Amino acid sequence: MTDEFETVSDAELHAFVDDLLSQSERARVESWLEKHPEKADEVHRWQAQAAALKQYFAPYARSDENDRALISARRTAERTGSRSSAFRLRRLAAVFLIFAAGAAAGVYASDLFAPDSRLAAAASEALPRQAESAFLIYTSEVRHPVEVGAGERDHLATWLGKRLDYALRIPDLSPLGFSLVGGRLIPVNGKAGAMLMYEDGTGGRLTVLLGRNTENRETSFRIASRGDVETFYWIDGEIGYAVTGEVRRDLLQKVADECYRQFENSERS
Amino acid sequence: MPHGRDGLKNGAGETISSPDPFEDKILALMPALRRYSRSLARSDTDGEDLLQDCVEKVLARRMQWRGVNLRAWAFTIMTNLYRNGHRHRARHPEVEFDQALDLRAEENNADPLERQRLVHALERLSADNRAVLMLVVIEGYRYQDVADMMEIPIGTVMSRLSRARRQLAEAMKDDNVIALRRPK
Repeated sequence: MTDEFETVSDAELHAFVDDLLSQSERARVESWLEKHPEKADEVHRWQAQAAALKQYFAPYARSDENDRALISARRTAERTGSRSSAFRLRRLAAVFLIFAAGAAAGVYASDLFAPDSRLAAAASEALPRQAESAFLIYTSEVRHPVEVGAGERDHLATWLGKRLDYALRIPDLSPLGFSLVGGRLIPVNGKAGAMLMYEDGTGGRLTVLLGRNTENRETSFRIASRGDVETFYWIDGEIGYAVTGEVRRDLLQKVADECYRQFENSERS
Repeated sequence: MPHGRDGLKNGAGETISSPDPFEDKILALMPALRRYSRSLARSDTDGEDLLQDCVEKVLARRMQWRGVNLRAWAFTIMTNLYRNGHRHRARHPEVEFDQALDLRAEENNADPLERQRLVHALERLSADNRAVLMLVVIEGYRYQDVADMMEIPIGTVMSRLSRARRQLAEAMKDDNVIALRRPK
């Protein structure tokens, strides 16, 4: 039999790769491929591709300990009376307490109910990644983790505040067991930003990143994780903030809450 | 009520885990949803963000679920979020940051160079083509299922799959990598 009566369509080749053919169809495609080495090469590449993709993404098919909290957070939010879908539901129901405080003060009221705050969230995605990288790079520095140490706290605030064009007040986290190590100038969103580093009694470190918000939009509290490194971040007016650490999440959240409160006060004063 | 309608182990009025059977079903889907979100996203962080957005939307719209095939319904919501988000991102392109730092990827046994090449090749796919490829290859959906989920004709599914595979193959060709390494 000659080739002209025996054709295999593109769709059949895909179905062959995806194992969607019956045994007889499969055999027919196989024998056709033997006579068409160029097509066979392409099919082999698709098969290799599929195997690589499966291998790459397979480890993500897992549960996370926070999954249940993420799902039930919605119910908690409904009970507290927020029906707005723009409300950013994040993993911890407790985050809503911070929101509620902000909303009560009128700080976030417009943001919470603005229809486009979902979009604003997407625009802020770069911030946690930059915060994570800064954390990973600088907290592991033994000799030069910061440019200006805690001994020059006032100078640090003035210097970074000037570069950031923002009345920076360095948060005091001593009630939570963290003392200031110092800070450095760091690029955030392509502009001058500031990183502050804190340390607990055992040398456990966390960082607070501030950068100018190039999108000039606001977001509510959000959380991002990468391995054990977690980041709480939010954008308030012209400044984006990110608190990053490798500490218990509830503790990190307290730190973020505390920073939020102190930055709020410094803006008003 | 048909058997299995309310899922897991809460027969006889006894709730073992969550007070809400719908939430239990979503919980059971989380690994699959996490894998799909990551296969669409540029990084682990983006993947988790997309996953969280999807869960939020699925829960908000639970009344619209028709009671069959929750998995496909949730996947459709994820796909749409991704396509919308992708359009938004295209207007605000982000600096490609540090996918190499993705911890989950490090657990993979694959050759890091090969992995990096795959990641870069995936970035070149359009959102629509990428979603079709992942639904078929990673999630194992049949072409007609994908057509139903994305509300497109099956011919469009085939052409997107074909384009995705050819673009990926083109981007991953060995000689491309060598050309990139060659000093100018």
